[in-house]
Amino acid sequence: MAFIEVKNLSYAYGGEGDSPVYALNNLSFEIEKGEYVAILGHNGSGKSTFAKLLTMVIDDYDYLSGNIYVDGVDILSEDISEDEIFELRKRVGMVFQNPDNQLVATVVEEDVAFGPENLGIERSEIRRRVDEALQTVGMTKYAKHEPHRLSGGQKQRVAIAGIIAMMPECMIFDESTAMLDPMGRREVISTVEKLNRESGITTINITHYMDEAARADRIIVFNNGSVILKGTPKEVFAQSEIMRAAGLDLPQCIDLAEKLKKNGVALKGDITNPYQCAEAVAAALKDK
Amino acid sequence: MNIALGQYYPSKSVMHRLDPRMKFILAIVYIVAGFVCKNVLSFALLLVSTLLLIIISRIPIKTVLGSIKAILFIMIFTAIINIFLSTGEGDPLFEWRFIKIYESGLYNAGFIVIRIFAMIIGASIFLTYTTTPIQLTDAIERLFSPLKVLRVPVHEFAMMMTIALRFIPTIVEETEKIMAAQKARGANFSEGSVFKRIKALIPIIIPLFVSAFRRAGDLATAMTCRCYRGGKGRTRMTVLKLKVRDFAALALMVAFVAGIVVINIVNIGYTMN
Amino acid sequence: MSVLKIENVSYVYGPKTPFEVTALKDVNIQINENRITGIIGHTGSGKSTLVQMFNGLIRPTSGRILLDGEDIWEKPKEIGKVRFRVGLVMQYPEYQLFEETVRKDIAYGPSNMGLDEAQIQERVLRAIEFVGLEKSMLDKSPFDLSGGQKRRAAIAGVMAMEPEILVLDEPAAGLDPAGRSSIFKGIVRYAKERGASVIIVSHSMEDMARYCDDLIVMNNGELFMAGDKNEIFSKGEELKSIGLDVPQITEFVLELEKYGIYLGRDIYTVEAAYNALLKLFGGDIV
Repeated sequence: MAFIEVKNLSYAYGGEGDSPVYALNNLSFEIEKGEYVAILGHNGSGKSTFAKLLTMVIDDYDYLSGNIYVDGVDILSEDISEDEIFELRKRVGMVFQNPDNQLVATVVEEDVAFGPENLGIERSEIRRRVDEALQTVGMTKYAKHEPHRLSGGQKQRVAIAGIIAMMPECMIFDESTAMLDPMGRREVISTVEKLNRESGITTINITHYMDEAARADRIIVFNNGSVILKGTPKEVFAQSEIMRAAGLDLPQCIDLAEKLKKNGVALKGDITNPYQCAEAVAAALKDK
Repeated sequence: MNIALGQYYPSKSVMHRLDPRMKFILAIVYIVAGFVCKNVLSFALLLVSTLLLIIISRIPIKTVLGSIKAILFIMIFTAIINIFLSTGEGDPLFEWRFIKIYESGLYNAGFIVIRIFAMIIGASIFLTYTTTPIQLTDAIERLFSPLKVLRVPVHEFAMMMTIALRFIPTIVEETEKIMAAQKARGANFSEGSVFKRIKALIPIIIPLFVSAFRRAGDLATAMTCRCYRGGKGRTRMTVLKLKVRDFAALALMVAFVAGIVVINIVNIGYTMN
Repeated sequence: MSVLKIENVSYVYGPKTPFEVTALKDVNIQINENRITGIIGHTGSGKSTLVQMFNGLIRPTSGRILLDGEDIWEKPKEIGKVRFRVGLVMQYPEYQLFEETVRKDIAYGPSNMGLDEAQIQERVLRAIEFVGLEKSMLDKSPFDLSGGQKRRAAIAGVMAMEPEILVLDEPAAGLDPAGRSSIFKGIVRYAKERGASVIIVSHSMEDMARYCDDLIVMNNGELFMAGDKNEIFSKGEELKSIGLDVPQITEFVLELEKYGIYLGRDIYTVEAAYNALLKLFGGDIV
């Protein structure tokens, strides 16, 4: 069984009157342990609602059907206990969009310690984990700083450190780069990738940036609460019409490569970034 | 913004390194000592001790004097009241119509000024100049933790204070941004009648509230996701430990209070009634 | 012709305090009339300070800001009038919405200008047309709109003042591709129909390449480059040298040069690259 299994999941907000508004419509997909998956979709495509269900922060389960299994546990089941939820939160961490609204403490290292403290971990172990987590995200230098003096990218890295100090098996990034400048985005994305590669943390990056999604192992595309595409970046980006119809632009280089291919230019290999694109074009010109 | 009285002054002095819980206790004892003082010598001792505290904590005199500005008015006001309203024994030093100034009035005014100065500066040295707000919150949580038995929500209270401290700079920044945005739409906060000016604040206050609620909601979700469920079962990374220097400081403080009590009994010079 | 001129402008935050920061150093810029000018640079490059100077929210420590040849700080008491002529949309403008209805919120700027009710309503209607908001939205609470709609309503609030120069700081930040293009299209529509000059600050080089005519590049509080966008994007390597992103196609063109293939540095859009490559591959231009 996959680490996360979504089965026929539907969810609606209890709108006024008797017509619920469907946010998710019969979703089914799986995410394997250690995988790096990007969930793509425009604003309002249901991707954030899915994240909220996965982290169990929605109280109103009136219009809910289907299941989400995390390591075999049905997290949406009505008879799941508080303790089970606590255990699951320990295993599945979440980093949110607004870097200002998720840091609790007035000192960076105190904030990173917040999660482990809630878990009731022993003092010296918390210290060890905090130091290690700050090291992993490259924020050791800022351990004693006040969070509000940091840049957006640095704040998000502190938020990530706060999650990894809890040693989760899976991390969800809910548009965690949407409010950052390009430098902040690069900092965060390289941290995310490092965590996935080196620590084997299952990673779900919910985003509307194509270039971020292009770097994942697999992409799941949401549109109007349904999954319209899933597969490797190469497979997904090949469906340029479907992507555009879902309000998603292809990264420029992929767009260019697709256009060339349609015109009979044989480009080989995966093309998800400008470097691969240049390599493929150069090779094709040589073969000509 | 001039809130110098409550501002932490970073340094590595002994005072900075004292346990915040001990500093909290010392501050209270010091305030009590200020009330105990009665005569010229004890007030002189109090004044000297305050100056010593400033020196020990390595805060520039300028910073301290700058912060007195905030309490200068209170000091002058109480001094004047004491000068004119004291009715001492013997002949007045100065007399003009109904105004009579006695020697005791001058003494009392001087005493009061020293008392206010010593208590406020002393307390801020212990609690704000050398202690960060987070340390102070921490100290309060731990000092009052025995009250948990009486179901006083000590942890929740401290958590609230921490979050408030964390968000004050964020919200100040946000206020500035919203003000700039509304100014760009032609808002004018500095002209017109009082009523007009208050009305002009609505476009700032409403967005601020909306955003504060949104932040509160976001933060609550983030805390839940980080397994927060109140103080129960929570451990702490940093644990405060009293060291030799903390007890030494306490001993000094006790000796100081004892000194003042003795001086009061011996009764040298003018004594406050 | 230039409508807005920045002359030897410097700005220092918190002068004579330990937190003294020089945000702008002797900057000289000309903004050309009826053009869309993009400002690019890192966070902290001084561009946010600069845009707040255009409409007199920040007064330069030294130097002058000339609007149609007149120093805007000549009469500091009348700086309010400058703010109606140079409209500024700040970052995340949806956080400034406060009225009960979208209509009232958009009307806030125009009513501060002292216009009569009929004129105000006319402007509100024109403004929502620029940003593409439905009329039916006008009587809703701004807090009930979706994120993208809130953003558009907030931008309409500045457009309704009908400024000669419209300045926008990251107007599309955080929006998805569809939201981004709808915002930018609205801005272009405003510029065309009102004959206004527009200044846009953005991190997205792709958007800059698509919508701007001129570009200004800021670095460490100084002007790094300024000129026509073709000229600026042909200097992709220099942009990269100060750590800025360049359009993916620029990156691709530079990378291709490493293989000895020269497409031309003036190529920074998918279409241009496609056409140039088709020629190389010997195909027809479609």
